[in-house]
Amino acid sequence: MPRLVPRVAQADPAVPHEWEHRPVRQLHPWAWWGWAICASAAVSLTTNPIVIALIAASVVVVVLLRRTDAPWARSLKVYLFLALVIVVMRLFFQIVIGGVRTGTVLFTLPSVELPAWAAGITLGGPVTLDGLAVALFDAVRIAVMLLCVGAANSLANPRTALKSVPAALRDISTAVVIALALIPQMIASIHRVRRGQRLRGGRRRGLSALPGTVLPVIEDAVEASLQLATSMEARGYGRTRTTGEQRRGRRQLLGALLAVLFGTYVLLAVPGTTPGWLGLSTAAWLAVVLIGSAVALAVWGLRVSGRQLGVTRYRPAPWGSPENVTVACGGVALLVILWLISSLGVPGEMNSMQTPVRWPTLPPLAVVAALALVVPGFTTPAPRKSP
Amino acid sequence: MNNGRPDRVSVAMLTIAGLAGLLAFIWPLIVAPAATLDGNSQSPFIFAVLLPVLLGIVVSELSRGTIDVKSLAMLGVLSALGALARPLGAGTAGIEFVFVPLILGGRVFGPTFGFLLGSTTLFTSALLTGGVGPWLPYQLLAASFVAMGAGFLPRATGWAEIAVLSCYAGVSTILYGSLVDLSFWPFNLGLATDLSYVAGAPFLENLHRFVLFSLATGMGWNLGRALTTILTLCVIGLPMLRILRRANRRGNFTEAA
Amino acid sequence: MIEFDHVSITQPEATSPVLSDVTGTIRESDLCVVVGRTGTGKSTLLGCINALVPMTTGATMAGRVRIGGVDVTGRRPRELADLVGYVGQNPLSGFCTDVVEDEVAYGMEQLGLDPVTMRKRVEETLDLMGIADLRRRALVELSGGQQQRVAIAAVLAAQPRVLVLDEPTSALDPTAAQDVLAAITTLVHDVGLTVVLAEHRLERVMHAADSAIWLPGDARAVFGPTAEILGIADVKPPLTQISEALGWPKVETSVRDARRKVATEGPHLDLPNLPVLAVSWRAEGLTPVLTAGDLAVHYGDLRAVEVDLELHAGSIVALMGRNGSGKSSLMWALQGAVASTGRLAVRDVDPRTASDSEARRLVSLVPQSPADLLYLPTVGEELHQADRESEAAPGTTRSILATLGVDLPDDRNPRDLSEGQRLALVLAIQLAASPAVICLDEPTRGLDYQMKAELTGIVRRLAEQGACVVISTHDVEFAAQTTERCIVLAEGEVVADGPTRTVCCASPSNSPQVAKVFYPHDVLTVAEVKKALALQAVRP
Repeated sequence: MPRLVPRVAQADPAVPHEWEHRPVRQLHPWAWWGWAICASAAVSLTTNPIVIALIAASVVVVVLLRRTDAPWARSLKVYLFLALVIVVMRLFFQIVIGGVRTGTVLFTLPSVELPAWAAGITLGGPVTLDGLAVALFDAVRIAVMLLCVGAANSLANPRTALKSVPAALRDISTAVVIALALIPQMIASIHRVRRGQRLRGGRRRGLSALPGTVLPVIEDAVEASLQLATSMEARGYGRTRTTGEQRRGRRQLLGALLAVLFGTYVLLAVPGTTPGWLGLSTAAWLAVVLIGSAVALAVWGLRVSGRQLGVTRYRPAPWGSPENVTVACGGVALLVILWLISSLGVPGEMNSMQTPVRWPTLPPLAVVAALALVVPGFTTPAPRKSP
Repeated sequence: MNNGRPDRVSVAMLTIAGLAGLLAFIWPLIVAPAATLDGNSQSPFIFAVLLPVLLGIVVSELSRGTIDVKSLAMLGVLSALGALARPLGAGTAGIEFVFVPLILGGRVFGPTFGFLLGSTTLFTSALLTGGVGPWLPYQLLAASFVAMGAGFLPRATGWAEIAVLSCYAGVSTILYGSLVDLSFWPFNLGLATDLSYVAGAPFLENLHRFVLFSLATGMGWNLGRALTTILTLCVIGLPMLRILRRANRRGNFTEAA
Repeated sequence: MIEFDHVSITQPEATSPVLSDVTGTIRESDLCVVVGRTGTGKSTLLGCINALVPMTTGATMAGRVRIGGVDVTGRRPRELADLVGYVGQNPLSGFCTDVVEDEVAYGMEQLGLDPVTMRKRVEETLDLMGIADLRRRALVELSGGQQQRVAIAAVLAAQPRVLVLDEPTSALDPTAAQDVLAAITTLVHDVGLTVVLAEHRLERVMHAADSAIWLPGDARAVFGPTAEILGIADVKPPLTQISEALGWPKVETSVRDARRKVATEGPHLDLPNLPVLAVSWRAEGLTPVLTAGDLAVHYGDLRAVEVDLELHAGSIVALMGRNGSGKSSLMWALQGAVASTGRLAVRDVDPRTASDSEARRLVSLVPQSPADLLYLPTVGEELHQADRESEAAPGTTRSILATLGVDLPDDRNPRDLSEGQRLALVLAIQLAASPAVICLDEPTRGLDYQMKAELTGIVRRLAEQGACVVISTHDVEFAAQTTERCIVLAEGEVVADGPTRTVCCASPSNSPQVAKVFYPHDVLTVAEVKKALALQAVRP
């Protein structure tokens, strides 16, 4: 006979006290950055405004679903504003100093020819639909790329990101952590000093108020930095490093820098007109190889030199399947767009910057890219919102 | 701290990074026609991926071995100061104080410290405001070189030192602004206008166009920035130098030779 | 455990050594307290233990220091991190991260411990110091006592055998100090750590200390058991003074021992008992200088202060209450520098609407960190600037400084001054305006007994000249010595306002040590005990 009352008491639902303090699992910040960079790269490859709008919608949906209450999570609005500024500025310049003046004329501004010292620029002139469309499409692309970066800013926790830097950069990330911790103290210190100035009977304004406010704050901060150095020294900072030892990994790093330099040179100076495999020219492929090897060398070098430091990390942010899924979604979207712009896809449809202007259409496959990008909004752990 | 001058390998790395960085800034002036980056207004984004690799390497190289615990603490303090000074006048006609701690820090603690200070200050500020974007690597690199340059200035004392620093501040802040504007010139303007760069055109001709563009847009900000930096240096430069030097003398955390 | 073997230390740019030929031993699992006046080298001696001196100060050192038989001379402090834990004076400025848990782990990360060990040790250390519920809090949000405990936890995680603490309770209110001391005694008694600490407020730690080191100021160091050292030292907490006054052969280090000794051996003071009921302040015959009605300070929704108050010329008032009870806010509001509502009048003028320079002449305030008011490079320039601000004749501030009994050379940097000298300098600057009311916010922080006695003298002179002096303090002993009226604040409201002797002794937990020893008799200070004894001796 089945027991009606379970013998084992149920897990008590009335102990959420500790549970409430336990932090929710947050997605690794680098995963959000990986996802956002993929989205941004995908956008950079096309000028089809419909595709771009779809991707932008996906990104915004994910941000709205997964951002926390943290102060950095509010940065999306700033980026939206910035994106708008870029669009407006581009259109303004297109109208005033022009560029594309051919095609359907919408209206004509009185034109002014500037003197020779101003490179003979003509202000005003006919404003055409084609000109505006070209400027708008390009501007929207840039704006959405920015929006993707903004999404990463509002989703990724910068403090966790700082904790997850490679070991070779730990010293410098320590400095940034110290700075972030000091800022609230400094603000408090500024308030204290400002308030104290009245006590000496002369609050000043403008530049002459600067020494009285800034100097005590700096004196305090510098004093604090010496105490901090003492405390770090006493707690064993730098103990695992032996002085005078040959530093490892320098050759790899030097190689990486050289590869970056040559890669840049190839990008800028070697003409590559004939499109080759996957639509990229030989020069482009050379640059890709150089830059790829630079990144590989840099990772290797930083690994080697980081291991030499011999420091460890307490509770590093975990990297598990949600992170893999998130980055993979970004990767899928990027691959789909790459496919579409290659000679195997529909390169014509993906490029709307053509004169005469043509109403853009939506390649069906692009929907897949947008859908892939929206997946992390549902597969990642949800943030706990404070009521 | 060991006099703040990098050793040979570090100098080599800095030179290469400087060259590659310079290319990343001035590419619109020198790009060849039909090169991969030509006709591509999102090129800043390509560099925005390349420059962090560059910076990561140089910063990790400089921060190891050459920087001791006292400098690290000081780096934290000055970065906090700079990051705090940055939003004070943000947006209002280039009133920006961030270069004061950068230049003074580089001057007192040497070029290596200066380079690191430039990076940490702007990075801290970006984290604080959620401003990590494609422009950040450019700002980091430019600010690092500004602060590093202050470490190479000739010896001077008293008001002569302030004069030297002010001259340097004027030149370097305008240069900083122009370089950052330059790198985002194609990005802000697009490619098709009369003020856009023309691939393959003579360097000077492109420069001419850029100067015009700059006059029409960011030059006011750059001048304002230079002016506030110089004014601030005149008002608090001497006492700040005194405070920093005193801190540098006190406490001895050098590695035993 | 810790052996000093002919240790001599000379600071850079100093001609004579600060410590010379120091030889002595601190036993295993002792709580050892370092006593001495300000500037006698307490911090230097503490720094020697983990080689911070001479390694980070550039001082020159002779002799050897051994810890557990291991010679640590010439080692770097960081090599000793798992042997000696060191917590400096201000814990907040020693933090390298921003969250409690990370801070505790930081030291172990630097030692390269593996993550599994680290995880376990962090949990254990959090429990040991009783801060497990704070683990995810930001360090800046914590109270002073919590910060101090986190700082101790952060060095304990590396599992040192010796703990060195430089003035761990000097900035704390009595409750927080109790918390920290309880944690320290646990470490000594249950874990068996050796703890060495420096402290000005000996009455807080002397009962728990096993041994003491006295630095007389002539570069010597005297080692010995606590009672013995306190018998000869020139820093005299109230219990030492009682022992001396009553001619006891040995100093009693705790109130309990002293009470027992008084109970068995006398003297039985022939004194009236303490009044049981609260006595309120009587203002008859006094001239009011400041009146405040419904004076309230709000921070957002929080009402920090709401009081009715009248202050009188020539009186010295203590303002007491726990941290956050509104003491500072009230003082700032009286000065008019912080916005407040309600009525406020000083000599019939409202300092809130007066100009800055006029407000200074009404109410002058010396804030908790006096250095906030100093920004010029030398003492001379600060004094000169103060003369101009107060529209006083040149040299006024300097002569005030002289009457305070402090003489500072013009070319000194205000930042190099000791706590006491800096307080005197700022006090002189503020007095230059000859204010009607003088507010001192926590002036006794970092002062030794002798400097506190000097401050008492200064304050009395100011009151005799007709000023009203308001002192906010946690230091019951100082309040009992110095003030005549005591106002206790709680949650921004006045909960007690009366003569200091009745307010301070109303609860045995919060009264001066002398009152505790002779409870229920009405004595506050050693001087009163002496007087009573003298009277008893005259009478048959």
